[in-house]
Amino acid sequence: MSGHNPTSTLAERVRIALNNDFLRNAVRFTTERLRTNKQAAAEQIGNWEEWRERGRQIRLHTIAHLDYYLAQFAENLRRAGGYVHFASTAEEAVAITLQIMAAKQAKSVVKSKSMVSEEVHINQALEEQGIETVETDLGEYIIQLAGETPSHIIIPAIHKNKAQVAELFSEVAGEPLPADTAVLAAFARSKLRGKFLEADIGMTGCNFAIAESGSIVLFSNEGNARMVSTVPRTQITMMGMERILPSWEDLEVMATLLPRSATGQKLTVYMSAINGPRRTADGDGPDELHVIIIDNGRSRQLGDPEFQEVLNCIRCGACLNACPVYRHIGGHAYGWVYSGPIGAVLTPVLNEEKEKWAEVANASTLCGACYEACPVKIPLHDMLVYIRRRNVEEGRTKRTERLGMKTYKVAVSSHRFYQLALKLGRIGQKPLVRDGQIPTRLGPLKGWNNVRTAPALAERSFRESWQALERELQQEMAEMSPQVKARLEELAGKRGDRHEQ
Amino acid sequence: MNNERNPIIERLHRQSLQQQEAFLDHIAHRLGRERITTPPARPFAGAPDFWRGFTLEAEERISLFLSNWESLGGVAKRVRSMDDARAYIADLTDRMQAKRLVCEEHPLLADLLPEGDKEREVTVWGGGDPAHLLKKAAEADIGVAVADFAIAYTGTLVLTSSPARGRSISLLPAVFIGIVRAADIRTKMGEVLSVIRTWDGGRMPAGIHFVTGPSRSADIENDLTIGVHGPGSVHALVVDEVDGR
Ligand code: SF4
Repeated sequence: MSGHNPTSTLAERVRIALNNDFLRNAVRFTTERLRTNKQAAAEQIGNWEEWRERGRQIRLHTIAHLDYYLAQFAENLRRAGGYVHFASTAEEAVAITLQIMAAKQAKSVVKSKSMVSEEVHINQALEEQGIETVETDLGEYIIQLAGETPSHIIIPAIHKNKAQVAELFSEVAGEPLPADTAVLAAFARSKLRGKFLEADIGMTGCNFAIAESGSIVLFSNEGNARMVSTVPRTQITMMGMERILPSWEDLEVMATLLPRSATGQKLTVYMSAINGPRRTADGDGPDELHVIIIDNGRSRQLGDPEFQEVLNCIRCGACLNACPVYRHIGGHAYGWVYSGPIGAVLTPVLNEEKEKWAEVANASTLCGACYEACPVKIPLHDMLVYIRRRNVEEGRTKRTERLGMKTYKVAVSSHRFYQLALKLGRIGQKPLVRDGQIPTRLGPLKGWNNVRTAPALAERSFRESWQALERELQQEMAEMSPQVKARLEELAGKRGDRHEQ
Repeated sequence: MNNERNPIIERLHRQSLQQQEAFLDHIAHRLGRERITTPPARPFAGAPDFWRGFTLEAEERISLFLSNWESLGGVAKRVRSMDDARAYIADLTDRMQAKRLVCEEHPLLADLLPEGDKEREVTVWGGGDPAHLLKKAAEADIGVAVADFAIAYTGTLVLTSSPARGRSISLLPAVFIGIVRAADIRTKMGEVLSVIRTWDGGRMPAGIHFVTGPSRSADIENDLTIGVHGPGSVHALVVDEVDGR
């Protein structure tokens, strides 16, 4: 995997984030709102646990039979007149895209949100070829103008305030625009409308692909994914290879879980299923449709009992909103495409250079809130433990931490001792954080202690931030639900029963 | 549209057919087994059982759809006949001082505006040059189409694309009017998906769009903005009696 370099350490990124008051307040406010909305939406439909369980079952089944469903999808999409491409790496995905661009002599591309396209750095590659590439999701457009990366899966520009947006848009407009949401949104609408109508290529991501008909399904609220898949003559869709669903009926479950978990909506404003290119007599829709199925580190998780389930993720962002660490530091501190608990897991497991990304898994408290929030029940907190353990086993940690992890490993492998450690962790949170000993043993706050003592820190403001973090963490730990607690306890006792179909 | 392939695309296509086998073999290998080529058994598929059993009476479906659409920020109205629907559209066109309409080619939508209305231009989708249609839709103030289905539980209109019903109609104009027959309102999404399932994948409509309220965004400091990219004003008309014209 190329082009990803954490230019700073986790500690530095966290320090920057903690010193940015707007960021912290904005992230906290927004995640709180999303979280409340999600809870209300889950209560509204009722039987949330049954929905989650069904979501998990469908995802487990699909991933366990991924080769079958991908083959079926490819066959059906080709039958509907679309092209399917397979890319094992980011480089291959870029190469295929550039060849399609060349075939179409494309000069401009409009894009709707696609996290996998961020993974492969397609914008950079296109710009290098002199192909104008415009992000059209309002949030993505903002951060593209700012030259930044998304800091939240669902709300990419969560860290930008109105004044900053006004400044960015004013530059494009060539005249000062007020920091007024309606004005700014109207400007983006008309600016991007022109781009949609002129673009040679529309690029989309893929929320779900349906094997039984070769369809791709896109969720959006603004309508930009519809524009991108309606107006340009050629459409290219980048799809992580795990985005598949066996059948249309499974889509009802995902359409229930995804919008509710992401924003608390019953359904996003647009859910669009694209089945091949436009039919011959249709008046709109792309003449040509290309779907690029991308591996980029995903297949390494297959057959790995500890990590296969990470491929069940439907990218809803609920774990970010639930995470006390994310809520304090925002998305950029994680350093790569994905942030929050899912980012803390995906970043080290998808990237080949383990060394470089090992520490990201430390940005977590293992409180289990991410698991509880996850609509497909991915045990992210277990996975974070496994990553830390592997870091230790493979010698990617400092000696002190290694010692700590050894203890931790013993703790996890011994049911009773683990329960004890858990209890200690909950009850004695504050002193533990202070003396830095037990966090090492328990795992959770290890990374944070390193951060705390990093010499480069602005001592005073950091200490204040740290205290706030400490307070919140303490609260969250105290609030740990019985379900999560049971889950954590169960973990120590029985593993490996999860890959039944 | 695979005829007359560009040589680069042709090469990519052949390369893909080769890579596909290696790609899928690798997945099977990682999963620790041979490739699976027969449909796997599905002990769990689709919505949980309790949900499948959930249905509402016709009247409940109508009122739930209307109230959901309204609470999303749309305008929802139940009308007795297509004559009433046409009157609503004419009135809205007047009130908004709309100059251009684009509408699906549909028997229900013939004579959309009163005869002799020279003030306004109505573009009927259906055949013709795609570039021309796109231009007309982009210029239109109001788009009008008939939905295949509505979903009461989520407040959703389901619009498939066809030569007579462009996707742009419900996307490009600032105002969208969606008409749905009362009899086409279903309780929940699964009932619509199970119909779509029966369509032949190779020949199903190229676009199936589920539309739930006006286009929106909260990307700038959490401020809810209506009408980003898609229509900001959306009207759903539920028609009780359809004379089939
Ligand atoms: S891990 Fe779960 S909660 Fe987090 S983004 Fe993925 S599906 Fe959503």
